[in-house]
Amino acid sequence: MASENQLHVTLVTPERILLDTLAASVDLPSRTGRIEVLPGHAPLLAELGAGDVTLHGAGSGAETSRWNVSWGFVEVLPDRVTILANDAVAPSAINVAAAREQIERAHAQWNAAGDDAEAYEAANRLLDEAQARLASAEG
Amino acid sequence: MANVLDLRRRIRSVKSTRQITRAMKMVSAAKLRRAQERALAARPYAERIASVLASLKRRIEVLDPETGNLRHPLFAVRPEKRILLVVVSGDKGFAGAFNTNILKASYHFLSLCDDREVDIEPIGRKARDPMRRRYPLAAHEEVQTENPADGEPLTRRVRNRKSRVEVVGDHPGMLEKLTHAATRELASEIIRRYTHEEIDACYLVYNEFKSVIQQRVVTERLLPLIEPGKAVIVGAIEPTEEERQHAATVAAAAGISPFGEETRDTEAEQFGTAEVDYIYEQPAPELLDGLLPSYVAAMLFHAMAESVAAEHAARMTAMDAATNNASDMIDSLTLHMNRVRQAAITKEIIEIVSGAAAL
Repeated sequence: MASENQLHVTLVTPERILLDTLAASVDLPSRTGRIEVLPGHAPLLAELGAGDVTLHGAGSGAETSRWNVSWGFVEVLPDRVTILANDAVAPSAINVAAAREQIERAHAQWNAAGDDAEAYEAANRLLDEAQARLASAEG
Repeated sequence: MANVLDLRRRIRSVKSTRQITRAMKMVSAAKLRRAQERALAARPYAERIASVLASLKRRIEVLDPETGNLRHPLFAVRPEKRILLVVVSGDKGFAGAFNTNILKASYHFLSLCDDREVDIEPIGRKARDPMRRRYPLAAHEEVQTENPADGEPLTRRVRNRKSRVEVVGDHPGMLEKLTHAATRELASEIIRRYTHEEIDACYLVYNEFKSVIQQRVVTERLLPLIEPGKAVIVGAIEPTEEERQHAATVAAAAGISPFGEETRDTEAEQFGTAEVDYIYEQPAPELLDGLLPSYVAAMLFHAMAESVAAEHAARMTAMDAATNNASDMIDSLTLHMNRVRQAAITKEIIEIVSGAAAL
């Protein structure tokens, strides 16, 4: 059923291939901002940030068209999108309490970072990830 | 000579041992199947990361043409003076020569290191315990210094090396519940040490497991990365033909294909390698910053997943051999017992007959 205006979307996590389906368009969180990919997009390689991947007009095989992902890479070709995510969960499977706890932990790390740029970076990543999860869980 | 009662008792004890080994064999077979599936499921990600990294590396020069500096510290090749050795073994015994082979390979590697300083990072209890007995634990000391910028006191952890070979780190339960998050943490720790030039190279000893008959203990170089996607094997212990055949028959009996699934994932090989000009959203060095830790983590995860599968396979084969040995022992003991019983009966008859003749 692959046609010209459909994208082949694959979502791969370190543990397994989570999703392999067709969609009309995909919304992605890149490191520097959200991007929407439509069929015929120019080849692109980008770092993934934390946030939601949303499939629009997904094939019937997909149970949910929204996944919360954090960090990884995405390759876009005119007819294909491959997302390599370090972590991907369905919004319904997000542990809200754990995410809240992570925000607090990130704040503590942020305050304790001092002059260490690496520690700041790590705290920021932790914070982004937790906030993206919470936002995703709330819909 | 042992009497019938003693022999019967021994047979009973061997029989219950056989039941235990048989149960362990079946448990291992089930666990092997799961471990194999997990190792297989982890492959697409690792392959894609490796291929995109290889393609990125081909496209951009490792050296920045303008400044002549390295694009990423993980490509830096330094003379190997300090080495980190990651040893992946099992957590439990009863797995034949599995842990011994891992240790043998590590000791062999250490013997080649001459006077270089080596840190050992053992993963799995069966590597940690003997390594700790043999080599001292790395000691750290907190040193107070003043920050040159503002004169504020700073606490720094300083390594206090006492011996040429030391054991660092401890990862209890890492193999039991293998998660990618844990290996990622370990990978970033190794990368931190490498970029801070605490180590000049990182080697990995583990049991490679392509399938039941295709496995060996390998010593692989993890860092520096010279050609991503290609394993740099510096040493390997292959199993003997006999061991391989035994493993294959046991696996076949347990319903596991001894050949494994040879899946060539062409889609994965193509990831990020299309012959087009990609738009790189981030500058290449930044992309590398994100890719390389993922690659190292994926390599570690892959090594551990295969090692876990190999451990179960080794345990399954060892327990099958133990079950067979127990059966042999029961047979010979039963034969012996019957002989003893017959001898006693014959002796009694002779006594009765000769007693009657004397009357």
